[in-house]
Amino acid sequence: MVTPLTYEILLALADAPRHGYGIIKEIEVRAGADSAPSTGALYLALQRMESEGLIEESRRRPAASEDRRRRYWSITARGRETAKAESERLAALVAAARRKDLLAGDMA
Amino acid sequence: MSRRVVRWILALAPRSFQDRYGDELLSTLEARSSGPRGLRSGLREVAGAAWLVIRLHLRREHRLSEAGGARGAWIAAAWQDGRYAVRMLRRNAGFSTAVIAVLALGIGATSAIFSAANAYLFRPLPFADPERLVTVFETNPEFGWVDQTAAPANLLDWREQVEAFADVSGYTEFTDELAALREGQPVIVTGTEVLGNFFSTLGVPAALGRTFRMEETWLGEDDVVVLSHDLWVDHFGADPDVIGRRFEFANHAPEIVGVMPPGFTFPDRDIQLWYPMGFDPAAATDLSFRRAHWVRAFARLESDVSHAEADAQLQVVVRRLQEEYPATNAVMGAGIMPMRDFLTQDARTSLGILLGAGAFLLLLACTNVANLLLVRASERAREVTLRCVLGASRPRMVRQMLIESAVLAAVGGVVGLALGWLAVRAVSATAPMGIDGATSVSLDWRVALFTLGAAALSGLVCGTAPALRAGRDGTDGLLSDGARGSTAGRAGLRAAAALVSVQVALAVLLVVGAGLMARTFWLLQRVDPGFRTDGVLAVQFALQAPRYGSRDDVLGFYDRFAEALEARPGVERVGTVARLPLDGRSWSSQFIAEGWPPDRVGIEILHRRADPAYFEALDIPLLSGRMFEPGDRLGPQPLGASPGRGVVLVNETFAREYFPGEDPIGRRITYDRAPGPRSIWYEIIGIVGDQQQESLARPALPEVFENRDQDWGRNNWIVVRGAGDAADLIEPVRSVLGELDPLIPIARIRPLETVRTESMVGERSILLLLSAFGLAALLLATVGIYGVTSRAARRRTQEIGIRMALGARGKDVERLMLARGLAAVAVGLAAGLAASLIATRALSSLLYGVEPTDPVTLGAVVALLGSVAWLACWVPVRRATTADPLAALRSE
Repeated sequence: MVTPLTYEILLALADAPRHGYGIIKEIEVRAGADSAPSTGALYLALQRMESEGLIEESRRRPAASEDRRRRYWSITARGRETAKAESERLAALVAAARRKDLLAGDMA
Repeated sequence: MSRRVVRWILALAPRSFQDRYGDELLSTLEARSSGPRGLRSGLREVAGAAWLVIRLHLRREHRLSEAGGARGAWIAAAWQDGRYAVRMLRRNAGFSTAVIAVLALGIGATSAIFSAANAYLFRPLPFADPERLVTVFETNPEFGWVDQTAAPANLLDWREQVEAFADVSGYTEFTDELAALREGQPVIVTGTEVLGNFFSTLGVPAALGRTFRMEETWLGEDDVVVLSHDLWVDHFGADPDVIGRRFEFANHAPEIVGVMPPGFTFPDRDIQLWYPMGFDPAAATDLSFRRAHWVRAFARLESDVSHAEADAQLQVVVRRLQEEYPATNAVMGAGIMPMRDFLTQDARTSLGILLGAGAFLLLLACTNVANLLLVRASERAREVTLRCVLGASRPRMVRQMLIESAVLAAVGGVVGLALGWLAVRAVSATAPMGIDGATSVSLDWRVALFTLGAAALSGLVCGTAPALRAGRDGTDGLLSDGARGSTAGRAGLRAAAALVSVQVALAVLLVVGAGLMARTFWLLQRVDPGFRTDGVLAVQFALQAPRYGSRDDVLGFYDRFAEALEARPGVERVGTVARLPLDGRSWSSQFIAEGWPPDRVGIEILHRRADPAYFEALDIPLLSGRMFEPGDRLGPQPLGASPGRGVVLVNETFAREYFPGEDPIGRRITYDRAPGPRSIWYEIIGIVGDQQQESLARPALPEVFENRDQDWGRNNWIVVRGAGDAADLIEPVRSVLGELDPLIPIARIRPLETVRTESMVGERSILLLLSAFGLAALLLATVGIYGVTSRAARRRTQEIGIRMALGARGKDVERLMLARGLAAVAVGLAAGLAASLIATRALSSLLYGVEPTDPVTLGAVVALLGSVAWLACWVPVRRATTADPLAALRSE
């Protein structure tokens, strides 16, 4: 089991390497501006995830038009496995919820 | 704004984190905060960053502890204590929030005030070798001048003759609002006059081009100007090729020779351009060049010269000038003081007071927290005892308590810093000025350090007492007894009562200070300044030469403007005056009256020029004699010419002071102390009502009104009285001005009521800050009293139950309990009153119409604090006595 923020970050990085701001934009677009973590919380999570081997720094460098200070982060094989396991766990939970008529969208 | 706070907080993160993630984090933060963000998201970022730093340190400590060794064991224990502390504090969220809020309040207030004090009193001026810069002032015991501006001729003589001065320069303390055109639109630029060596003496080079040369001080040299960085950006789009171009404003089009670095606006924060004084070489030997004192002089000392040596040399030159120029310099002295001291002298008193008040508030907050911690310690006595019995060592228990208060202090410190940063903005908006152009208030690393120091100290002070008690309780080992009834518990109550006394005393001090300022402010607001302010709008515009070069151009425009405006509905009267009353600026001179003995002279009389409509617009009564009339339009005449042509009005104070028991009307005066054939004589034709000129707290000074049509000038205020609100007049003023000449920009426009309010801005900012402190003090003391009484009441629930069961009436028990609680309050009130009798003397220079020992204020404060304290005692007592006696008996 991983924290919701860890899962959000893994999800954001699943398709492409992103920098910190990119991760936040991705979360904002997907889940709304209120769901994005504070910048401090994001980097606290990034530091932990890097030390746990879930993400690593990508070789991609910021484009000339971008802020030079940016770093791109990409998901590791271990991170991808973790995200998969968590997704399956969540999917199982959702399936269980559906069976018990807890998912409004299914009523029709 | 939150970005800077986050940056400071991040500086506290472990180095390894900063190296790897710091830059990108800031880049992300900037990207996020570039859009529109509210206060809430800003606070969220600050809290997020604080949490990040705390967690990172905890993680690192944890890793070190796992590394092992003696140090590792210690860290492991501390880590455990830290986690335990955080857990305990989270479990008691209400208590923790209270402590953090109280600490943050004290720390925030103190750090804000400290920031202001730091900026004004301690930070060096932003000039080269600022400690060698001195202000050179003139003195005159006859006129009561102590730090007067210098006469240009004297300044130039000091420059020549005092060898200890590497250079002497000067500037005017007045700023000019000048008309200029920007892309065809009229705009106002703010400029000031300086000597040619102004920048070189300060030691600040131009960022672009050059600064002035000394010879450019004089007329006849090339007309030159230096721009501020902001004006260069706004007006010229930061064009680097601006040097050598002409900048057209007001009367001329001087050549731009330089642009100053960003942030340099000395001597006033509004300055956008500097130009040379333009002394006339032909007039350099005139009497007026040595008689009019209007240049603020400063000097740079030679590097090997002490202040005392420089002053001694200056005195030699002063004596020489006294002998050489008796007509102007007979009693003129001069002196030096460090430039920073001069620039900050007005702010020093008020900052000192606020610094003291802030320190008291911090002390109060610490006492309050100590009290809260004491209460907690006694409530936790059982837990402590239990842990001791189970084998915890005393030092370990002491450390546990200390760590808990340290965690509280750390969080309180961070929140306090954020609060302080908010408060700094409030302080810098209202702080007493004088040093504007040289420095600005901001929260810097020194303040952050101070705040953290204050937090650490608070933690130590607040934590020690409960920690030591925790250690002692540990040896009791009486699990069955708990805290109740033990000697330690009673000692705790006594300590708490003592803390209540201290809190009440501190609160008295702060509330008395606020009360005295409130009285002052209230009295000032009720002062009748001698003129009406409601429904009057004041406006000043810059008439640009060459179209307004002559007297007739200027006066003709004023007349046309007044006529057109008075024709508008809602406009009643439009007058002209050189300076507004209560605006804080005035010229003064001496005068003699015809027929006076040779040694008699009137000193420090103020001057203004006005037209008759000014007095009508502001309801200033003509007490006797007559007003200016159209026939007075001719210029003033030398003595011997047909009399009565040069005319002036005087105010009531002038008449009373210089012509007691006589009728001054028809008397003639001149401003020359030794009148000659060229002296100008004015006949006094009328007496008008007094108007306060400098501040509401100062009575009117003797004043002479010259006739606008005779002694005309270019810079005037137009006062417009309307039938309704002053703000309603802004639109007609703008439209009439636009119709008459769309290229004239409005330099200043504001209701006269605002001028009056702004004259009290110093008093108001101190009142606001002291009130905030007083209110916080009142709140803290109330919380403290309530906490202690309710704890005492709880401890006595059983006793009360027994008394009631044995037949005591609720009222009697209540009285007994109240008496105990209020005794501590009474001690505090008495101590606070005694202390405030001494401490409020520091306030006396800021007070108006009220003594520092004002019995009404002191009485009101005692009544207020007494009744609040009574309420804070009564509520818990009442609750205890109305409880069911049986339940009370059963309660353990």
